[in-house]
Amino acid sequence: MAIDTKMKILIVDDFSTMRRIIKNLLRDLGFTNTDEADDGITALPMLQTGKFDFLVTDWNMPGMQGIDLLKHVRADEKLASMPVLMVTAEQKREQIVEAAQAGVNGYIVKPFTAQTLKEKLDKIFERIDG
Amino acid sequence: MDSSVMEQEQSLLSNENITKAKELISFMEAGELEKAQDCIDDLAEIRENEMYQEIGKLTRELHDSINTFGLDDRLADIASDEIPDARQRLAHVITMTDEAANNTLAAVEDSMPLCDQLLSETQNIETEWKRFSNREITLTEFKELGGDLKNYFSTNISSAEKINENLTKVLMAQGFQDLTSQIIKRVISLVEEVETNMVNIIQLAGTKSNKSDLKEKTEEHGGLDGPVVPGLEASGTVSGQDEVDDLLSSLGF
Repeated sequence: MAIDTKMKILIVDDFSTMRRIIKNLLRDLGFTNTDEADDGITALPMLQTGKFDFLVTDWNMPGMQGIDLLKHVRADEKLASMPVLMVTAEQKREQIVEAAQAGVNGYIVKPFTAQTLKEKLDKIFERIDG
Repeated sequence: MDSSVMEQEQSLLSNENITKAKELISFMEAGELEKAQDCIDDLAEIRENEMYQEIGKLTRELHDSINTFGLDDRLADIASDEIPDARQRLAHVITMTDEAANNTLAAVEDSMPLCDQLLSETQNIETEWKRFSNREITLTEFKELGGDLKNYFSTNISSAEKINENLTKVLMAQGFQDLTSQIIKRVISLVEEVETNMVNIIQLAGTKSNKSDLKEKTEEHGGLDGPVVPGLEASGTVSGQDEVDDLLSSLGF
């Protein structure tokens, strides 16, 4: 199975430092085609252009939160099947369950390691291919 | 004009007062001093009654205000739970920045000698290579150069890998900025709340007219808990990625 490293990934987080970290980690894994947004309100119209194949989002953001962005994505016919990885400091059981029920494909809690990101991405692509 | 002054004027011009005053003048003009004295006493009594009523009103307002304050649990919560919490949160920020700084420094200290080594070895090889290009080199030296190059390549590859690994550590260490900012923002909103309450206390103590309007605790963080602080875990939180994975796999992920 070959992962398409050319896929376009949108990174959504209100902290630019975290966006840079994720962007650099993804680049290290071969994903160079990334773009950034600082919350759901900015991210949603970008996603609706149809140019993105994968979404990495934080939860707690001003404007539109990550969980609402996820729900919008799942409710949008054109975006519904897009894989979504959540990277967040929120680690309440009920929130993880909420994200799962909303249709998240992976959930990473901060602080995380480069290895964790790689594992979760691999797992998501495995499932999509399988 | 101040409303309390108007009230005073109105009560001074009340029918009761006017009647008494007219009586007083007529008794004085008639020379009935004892009855005139009684009128003066009656007027003073009316005045005193008004004063007692005003004091009573003030006492009730003060009592109500104190009760409102005493019933407000927020101040008690802030003092007993949230200030110690904030202290622990800030201490955790220090721990996180300390870790990030130390991890970064360790990675840099580990990489610098590797860069130095790469530089000096490359310079040595370059010198030998120039001699080779100028045909100034003997066959024995050429064989040595071959061996040096072989070593150089393998060292170079492992050093570059090690430096790349260290740079990733530096990159990951910067995650503290996001997490500590989330914690500090919470402490700032607590400080703002304390400030509002302090202003209310000062208003209550200062004048009777300013009613205390205590700010309700608002859901400024959209009901989210933010980063987990050791020792302050809210109930129902998972302790790390492994537990997240367990929970998700129990949900069929």
